[in-house]
Amino acid sequence: MNFKKTLLGLGVSTLMLGATLAQAEIKIALAGPVTGPVAQYGDMQFIGAKMAIEQINKAGGVNGEKLVGIVYDDACDPKQATAVANKIVNDGVQLVVGHLCSSSTEPASDIYEDEGILMITAASTNASITEKGYQLIFRTIGLDSLQGPFAAKYIIDRVKPKNVAVIHDKQQYGEGLATSVKSEMDKAGINIVMFEGVTSGDKDFSALIGKMKREKVDFVYYGGYHPELGAILRQSKEKGFKAQFMGPEGVGNPDITAIAGAASEGLLVTLPDSFEKDPKNAALVAAFKANNEDPSGAFVFPAYSAVQIMADTIKAVGSVDTEKMAEHMRSSSFSTPTGDLAFDAKGDLKQFSFVVYNWHMDGSKTAVK
Amino acid sequence: MNRPLYPAIFAAIVTLVLTSMMLGIQLKTEGINLTLHSASEFTWYGIAGSTLAVFLFQLFREQLTGLVTLPELPSVASLLPEGKKGDRIKQLGIAFVIAAALIWPFTEFSNRGAVDLATLALIYIMLGLGLNIVVGLAGLLDLGYVAFYAVGAYTYALLSLYYDVSFWVALPLCGLLAATFGFLLGFPVLRLRGDYLAIVTLGFGEIIRILLLNWTNVTGGPNGISRIPKPDLFGLEFTKRVRCSAEDKLADACNVPFHEYFGIAYDPSYKVIFLYLLAVILVLITIYVINRLTRMPIGRAWEALREDEIACRSLGLNPTIVKLTAFTIGATFAGFAGCFFAARQGFISPESFVFIESAIILSIVVLGGMGSQLGIILAAIILTVLPELAREFQEYRMLMFGLLMVFMMIWRPQGLVPKSRPHLELASGDKPQ
Amino acid sequence: MLEALLYFVQQLLNGLTIGSTYALIAIGYTMVYGIVGMINFAHGEVYMIGTYVAFIVIAGLTTLGVDSLPLIFLAALLISMMVAASYGFTIERVAYRPLRGAPRLLALISAIGMSIFLQNFVRLAQGSRDIAMPSLITGGWTFGSVDTFEASLSYMQVIIFVVTLVTMGALTLFISKSKWGRACRSCSQDLGMTNLLGINTNNIIALTFVVGAALAAVAGVLLGMYYGVVNPYIGFIAGLKAFTAAVLGGIGSIPGAMLGGLLLGTTEAMTSAYFSSEYKDVVSFGLLILVLLFRPSGLLGKPEVEKI
Repeated sequence: MNFKKTLLGLGVSTLMLGATLAQAEIKIALAGPVTGPVAQYGDMQFIGAKMAIEQINKAGGVNGEKLVGIVYDDACDPKQATAVANKIVNDGVQLVVGHLCSSSTEPASDIYEDEGILMITAASTNASITEKGYQLIFRTIGLDSLQGPFAAKYIIDRVKPKNVAVIHDKQQYGEGLATSVKSEMDKAGINIVMFEGVTSGDKDFSALIGKMKREKVDFVYYGGYHPELGAILRQSKEKGFKAQFMGPEGVGNPDITAIAGAASEGLLVTLPDSFEKDPKNAALVAAFKANNEDPSGAFVFPAYSAVQIMADTIKAVGSVDTEKMAEHMRSSSFSTPTGDLAFDAKGDLKQFSFVVYNWHMDGSKTAVK
Repeated sequence: MNRPLYPAIFAAIVTLVLTSMMLGIQLKTEGINLTLHSASEFTWYGIAGSTLAVFLFQLFREQLTGLVTLPELPSVASLLPEGKKGDRIKQLGIAFVIAAALIWPFTEFSNRGAVDLATLALIYIMLGLGLNIVVGLAGLLDLGYVAFYAVGAYTYALLSLYYDVSFWVALPLCGLLAATFGFLLGFPVLRLRGDYLAIVTLGFGEIIRILLLNWTNVTGGPNGISRIPKPDLFGLEFTKRVRCSAEDKLADACNVPFHEYFGIAYDPSYKVIFLYLLAVILVLITIYVINRLTRMPIGRAWEALREDEIACRSLGLNPTIVKLTAFTIGATFAGFAGCFFAARQGFISPESFVFIESAIILSIVVLGGMGSQLGIILAAIILTVLPELAREFQEYRMLMFGLLMVFMMIWRPQGLVPKSRPHLELASGDKPQ
Repeated sequence: MLEALLYFVQQLLNGLTIGSTYALIAIGYTMVYGIVGMINFAHGEVYMIGTYVAFIVIAGLTTLGVDSLPLIFLAALLISMMVAASYGFTIERVAYRPLRGAPRLLALISAIGMSIFLQNFVRLAQGSRDIAMPSLITGGWTFGSVDTFEASLSYMQVIIFVVTLVTMGALTLFISKSKWGRACRSCSQDLGMTNLLGINTNNIIALTFVVGAALAAVAGVLLGMYYGVVNPYIGFIAGLKAFTAAVLGGIGSIPGAMLGGLLLGTTEAMTSAYFSSEYKDVVSFGLLILVLLFRPSGLLGKPEVEKI
């Protein structure tokens, strides 16, 4: 750990605290994992949100007030998520961008709705979050219940596999996706020979691969994150198991190539439109690069959009009145780097498009036409 | 001078090896390539500094040991005057603490976060007190205590999800079910001794968690169970609007929100305060029951068994029954705590019941001084509040937590408040613990 | 018929590969337990640190342009054994020696604390991301035909077997023949008596930790090269498994740890192969409980004698 940087960080945050007293500011809580195994996905969300705050402030802030982002660490642990949510309430913060893991977002959103805090998650994709009829909970990313069928449609129409294995990591995100992909394929009459969970954090999948080999599996859909799929790909290559693999945005991370090496060539990944490739966003991408940050993470741009929507709404409503803001957000549309966004009654995006990408062994990806 | 020199050089080299490999060189993935980076100059100064410090410390160890001695914590018992007067002071003190705990959330010294955190601390107090029966009193090392906690939590969550059972009805059922599990596990495994018992309970804890995770149809698997209702107060609910089906509305069987009943404005903090007070009451009941139990023959039998199993057998105690009661009663309290946890959290998933949770509860028991109730209460408060206070240093939070555990064991192995046994003293008459 | 047999052999090989590394880690637990009677919970973290060091050495040598595989492998093995041994030594010195003679539960808590500390220390020092390394040794043998079922045995798996066997053999020789080994055995019989006989038991206990840690580092290097991935959290899971293996075989017994490791690895592979990988941990813990019910001191453990 770089102690110097941390000290600097502490210093800066103290300065920020000092500044809070001096000038009216709009505080935005950025909640997600700083620590824990999925911290790198938290980073994606943080750099996106921070960049938005920086740029909005540079452009004069919101109604003359500056935005301040405060990072809260929930480590993707539901218990810590409620503690963080309560801390946000205590700190008098009205706006939250987060949380990352659906299992943390779920208990935290209860508290936010109770306390009149507006929350936009840029990363939690589980459908149940917005199904409770809450008023103040939004998201700027597509749902598993959209992504699953999208992936399934691609498999059914384009790949037409003979024997399919659906594997998941027994976590909310992975199992949810895997189940929805499976049910769509069942409807289409595709032969699913295996539906199995693995333990996240495991490193040895040789037994599972042997089994897939025996079942003559020619297509594998994996619901989960990149560390496990990376290991599966790598070991499959070593064991001579050749099948087409496919995964959701949780595996779409350059690290999967680092783990799987050449075995990641040809992996199919469903990702949100890759916003960093959009020529409109060239300036923004350059700004990320200038900060030495990677704009290609799946949650970077949705988090940027979340902050921007908050800022635009505050401008339109005139104050940080979360109920009015929620009303405004449901009734208008926003022009953001992730496209023109509008929310439905539940708080989800009216439309969110996914693209199937072909992953390459140098860590790059190309959209499948 | 020569004698401490070689050990000092050795210690310095070891320190250098330990720090330079991990801190000095960093592995990074750049794109898809693995690269090595040297840490900043600052870190290298740190490494050199610590090596030098270790070297000097080892060199002048003998001279230094006389200079620095860690302060001894005063024992609580020694602070109180002897005899009847001491008892009065103690009783007054306890009454004061209880009153303060009950009034605190209504004062301006509290806020939502603090009350909520206190509620969490109270849950851990309950768990600590329950595990204390098993580990502290009966001397059975249980590394899977979290399983009973999970059983309690899932009992309430499932009952409310499928049968719409209210918290108050579910609470005794949670305890009962957890006790049943404790009994069922205890029966076969209590033949095992010491560390074998520890690993089997650990395995049992993992099995319960994995079963909850895999039994997706019923428990929701990794999705957990959400929207678990909060407890009500004699039919008054603490929500803004009461969820109520159309039939119930016709039959006028709906609960009324608390604020509407009393005609006051809705404030979400009522709910938090109510949960807190409920937790205080549950903890008080737990303390009372366990206090009584330890003075009953069964409580004495637990401790006797811990000290010498063979002697107990010779005296006609049945060790299996004694251990089984400890296991079952300990599990019951975990069941209650789990039930309350589910109600407070509103959402549970198997993630909340991992092994590290068992380890934390166990460290509460040991840190507090095994067998000592006051110590456990203090330790539970410290272990839940400290990480939250240290949130500013969130990166280093768990690091410090681990270090604290090691440090406490070395500095004060008997726990914060060592247990004083209830005993008779001939000179000063009967003196309860 | 042949297909089923090949499938079984394949899964058996998979199980033995993972099992032999469990065994290497389990020996660290069992040696410490045999002598001091405590569970060294931080042992899994030592394995994790060993893997990190192996990665550092391999990455460093490749950057320097060394391309002789045996040289890289040996260097990784030696350096990571040395660093892990230093960690083992320091852990014992800092966290356990002050608690010598205290109730075992205290040492256990101290060990859990040490484990949490080391995990977070590495997380802060190296980051929580998975660090990956390309496979150095690729290729292997295959049996059977592609049409039915093709079993494979990679060179890396063979290396794991061979290194594990050699290490175990060396350890057995060391324990049974050398002067230090005799002192170790004596300590595990009666620590106080050994002390009285003029053996510095503190040194022997330190030696136990050092040897255990070095073996964990061997496992770390092997598994690091096999799976090619490391993160600060791998130590905990591996430690738990190895501990289970040690108890299964009879904690305190070195052949028991080997047997327990292999048995556990095979059980896991077979459960995944013929049932479902979701339940492999349930089955292995279930097996443990079952074995302990009938043999309360594990498979090869000596039954405890009650002293009256």
